[in-house]
Amino acid sequence: MIVSVDTIKSDSSGFSSIADISFKTKDAWIDSIELDFSSCSFFEANMAAPLYTVISRLRNDLNIVSVTNMRPEVSRILQKNKFLSVFNQPDITDSNQTTLPFKIFKLSAGDQFNDYLDNYMKGKGIPSMSQVLTKRFKQSLFEIFLNATIHSQSESGIFVCGQFYPKKHRIDFTIADAGVGILENVQKYLRKPGLDSCEAIEWAMIEGNTTKTGNHPGGLGLKLIKDFIQINGGKIQVVSRFGYYEFSANDESVRKMNNDFPGTCINIEINTEDKNNYYLKSELRSEDIF
Amino acid sequence: MTDPIKIKVADLIGSPLCISIEDGQKVYNKIELLIKEGKHISISFENVSMLVSTFLNTAIGQLYGSFTEDAIRAQLKVEGLSADDMELLKHVVDNAKKYYSNKNSYDEAWLKEDNHEE
Repeated sequence: MIVSVDTIKSDSSGFSSIADISFKTKDAWIDSIELDFSSCSFFEANMAAPLYTVISRLRNDLNIVSVTNMRPEVSRILQKNKFLSVFNQPDITDSNQTTLPFKIFKLSAGDQFNDYLDNYMKGKGIPSMSQVLTKRFKQSLFEIFLNATIHSQSESGIFVCGQFYPKKHRIDFTIADAGVGILENVQKYLRKPGLDSCEAIEWAMIEGNTTKTGNHPGGLGLKLIKDFIQINGGKIQVVSRFGYYEFSANDESVRKMNNDFPGTCINIEINTEDKNNYYLKSELRSEDIF
Repeated sequence: MTDPIKIKVADLIGSPLCISIEDGQKVYNKIELLIKEGKHISISFENVSMLVSTFLNTAIGQLYGSFTEDAIRAQLKVEGLSADDMELLKHVVDNAKKYYSNKNSYDEAWLKEDNHEE
């Protein structure tokens, strides 16, 4: 079976294209799937993570997945970020060191995720961001990563990758899983089987809302990230099943995609030139907390 | 008053990364035990390099389900947190107070009749 891959950018049409590949291959079982890149003139590196959600599902159903007809410029991007190693193609050294390479983590691999961020975010081509910005960014990525480990039930792990765009002063970092999706968790938690993906994502974005079971408060992670993004001038995209949500300082929107994205993907984009110090005007003391 | 008992979080969980619910629960269990015994406790985050809300919800937020605000305020303090992590903890504590004071109706405001199909 040959499936065409279009130009994939980190926007709703890019996610929709990936969901379309998933739709076209949804019944594939012990088959051979060729992802034909001849119509793909550009592939934004961080979108390797959501594409892998489709590939992992296909491989889980014992399909042999291959990539063909990739233009050299696209291939170069995906070899630099080590994505093509999942097809046993050699990596290219990222001499500019602007890539946080594609990597698959097990659900219990929080420590390794930390090592990965330490390794690829220190110095190199990733811009020297202020210490507090780096910390906020890392904390945000951890909140997302941990959400995926807690909620996704993804059997194939968590897929991550990132890319720094020096001219735009932006880093995109993407965390995807091939799990159950936000919809299923929220439907079960609220006992509302009629809920749709957009409503489920909107619910999950509200401070204090969490589907985590047990007698714990929660639901702060995404709110904290939104607060950070608002000040930083960045952007967050949350894609899960048919739902596409985007938040930036200027805009908050949710829309239904035409096809079903097989899992959940969160992309966070930050402005690396941000000089905000993020501290409160008056420092909190221990006795102010409880 | 005697010196508070210090809980060194990084030593207790054996890691500078305060990220997992399991480790948060480990810290919670120690605090719970000591509060029940009427002890004063200082939770030290020295040498912690990464702290996220998930961990704090379990380790500290959960206390508000078992103890009164007065007891927690009287017996607990924290040290070794940077200004922005203090702010994070404040968020967690405020969220926990809200959660336990309003637990049953927490989701009801959002529940409404719907019957969509995708």
